[in-house]
Amino acid sequence: MEETINQELRSFLTGRIWLRMHIPFSQEQIDEHIQLGLIETISGISSKRRMGRLTHHCNRCENDDELKFVTFNCAKCKKRCTYCRNCLKMGRVTTCNELIYWIGEPQTYSSNHDLSWYGTLTPYQQKASRELQSSNKLGIPHLVHAVCGSGKTEILFEPIFKLLLEGKRVCIAAPRVDVVLELEPRLRRAFPKTSIEALYGGSESPMRSAQLILATTHQLYRFKQAFDVIFVDEADAFPYKTELTLQRAVQKAVKQGAPVHFITATPSDQLVSDMKKNGRISFINHRYHGKPLLVPRFEPLWNYEKHINKNILPKKLLVWTQTRMERKEPFLIFFPTIALLEKAEVIFEKVDSRIAAVHADHPQRKERVELLRDKKIPGLLTTTILERGITIPNVQVAVIGAEQSIFDKGALVQIGGRVGRSAQYPAGDFVLFHQGITYAMDGAKSEILRLNKGGVRA
Amino acid sequence: MNECLLCERITMSKPSWKELVGIEIQPVICRECSKKFVRAEIIDRQSIVDEITCIYSYNEAMRNYLHQYKFLQDVILATVFSTELRQHLKGKLNVVPIPIHPQKKIERTFSHVDELLNYAGIPFFDILEKNNTTVMAEKTKIQRLEMQPLFSLKAGVVVKQESYTLVDDIYTTGTTVQHAATLLKSAGATKVDVVTLIRA
Repeated sequence: MEETINQELRSFLTGRIWLRMHIPFSQEQIDEHIQLGLIETISGISSKRRMGRLTHHCNRCENDDELKFVTFNCAKCKKRCTYCRNCLKMGRVTTCNELIYWIGEPQTYSSNHDLSWYGTLTPYQQKASRELQSSNKLGIPHLVHAVCGSGKTEILFEPIFKLLLEGKRVCIAAPRVDVVLELEPRLRRAFPKTSIEALYGGSESPMRSAQLILATTHQLYRFKQAFDVIFVDEADAFPYKTELTLQRAVQKAVKQGAPVHFITATPSDQLVSDMKKNGRISFINHRYHGKPLLVPRFEPLWNYEKHINKNILPKKLLVWTQTRMERKEPFLIFFPTIALLEKAEVIFEKVDSRIAAVHADHPQRKERVELLRDKKIPGLLTTTILERGITIPNVQVAVIGAEQSIFDKGALVQIGGRVGRSAQYPAGDFVLFHQGITYAMDGAKSEILRLNKGGVRA
Repeated sequence: MNECLLCERITMSKPSWKELVGIEIQPVICRECSKKFVRAEIIDRQSIVDEITCIYSYNEAMRNYLHQYKFLQDVILATVFSTELRQHLKGKLNVVPIPIHPQKKIERTFSHVDELLNYAGIPFFDILEKNNTTVMAEKTKIQRLEMQPLFSLKAGVVVKQESYTLVDDIYTTGTTVQHAATLLKSAGATKVDVVTLIRA
């Protein structure tokens, strides 16, 4: 019996839910394993009649929003067939396309690992790390609420190491691919003996799957009861916070009753209250260098949109930019929309032709951030895409149109978190240019003040 | 409020009376996305094909569109150009879509040209049959010219002595439509026009 099991197939499929058509194994092999009772199949889309209307459910991404389903005349099954548009980019799931998952004895994982990270944790980091480990022992969810620049990743090393030693399968999920790409080399260095896989749109899927998985939250659509623990990094980032299916995907990817931990600098009120009820919270209000967070400065900037549309740079903004350049301080200027950003880019070019812009779809996004880090360009104009994850020593930050709704409290706190991250330059300027102070701006300011005071738990 | 089929952003179009009484149809894609498609409006005249009309030119937005429509099999994207297709096929007699090989159709689960017409609500005659599974894009110009006839008429089809209009998604060197037009003309068609969505 044991010989007939394809070990590679078991490794690949354990904890996964995969389109049968797209599996990198022969269909005969899949058939054999189905007959042996090792693989289960399920229709890609389940349809039910509810209140006289046909409703659908995608069995891969758990989508049940009727607007995201399309029913058409399928030439393959010769019937009316439905597909899901929510996870279309990962290969189309239809009624007549089968999904498969492993139900036999699952793959077991190594308990032989090394942790080769020799940095030291601050006492605050140590405390959070210990608390996280005890939550793992109890199997309860945990929130690490740590301010920007407090060294969140390092906190995870020891808890992950302990889990790996027990032969457990662990996942770190992040909403944005930038975070995944940044974490991958750090984890490979920290866990040299561990099988690690980084999954994101366009990454390769090797035949054997790894014990420690690093993935964008989208990739978790393809997992089913796979992990003993999932850490969700930057849980409040777009699109995770607004996409219900991504939140469901995390719950589907974790084993029944196993904990999902969250790590973020700006947890939503909902998350904090959930965690108070069902789990535990560790709180770090100190940056690793011990200096306080920068408090935002409010500066009115009336009719900035009108000015920029007329190709005029508002005086205050010009002065701010020139001051930064005179002092040779790198700067980031955040804009509320891509349209305004692109208009402003043209005007800023007249101030200094090296000033460049980046946004989510920009082809040279990564390169330009590198240029700023290497001091080859004086500053960058950006959308909220750079609100988290990046560290540039001595960077100064301005927000244009801080009153606009895209800059909510969390976003403003994150943006402020870019300033003063390095121990060498713990201070800096964090200015919000606005035309009217909003609750979000006030909220961000009082949150930062509260955190600096020692931050009573929210 | 509607979600754009391409960029999935919410489109806020102003409700209009024309829409309410059904003269105008609510767009399925947002203004930003539709701006990215560049109209070509190329009209060409030739000997085998009498008149060729190409609505759009091929650019990055169009490549992404075709990728999502044909490769990711997002059938609903057939609606994106319905209005334009209806405008260009208005009053045309005997609309005939360029077919794909039956095997290919099963693989893709739909025929992309048929669906463009279906979603636009244009009645058509499915009278052609593709002889083999060759893919044009993989061939050089010389190879294209030396090919055996690409199409044949379906069994029992009689071509009338009228004008016909062939519809395809993309016009590159014209080999495909020339094969189809030659076949229709030798079977009795008096005139063959071509309308394609894209000019490569």
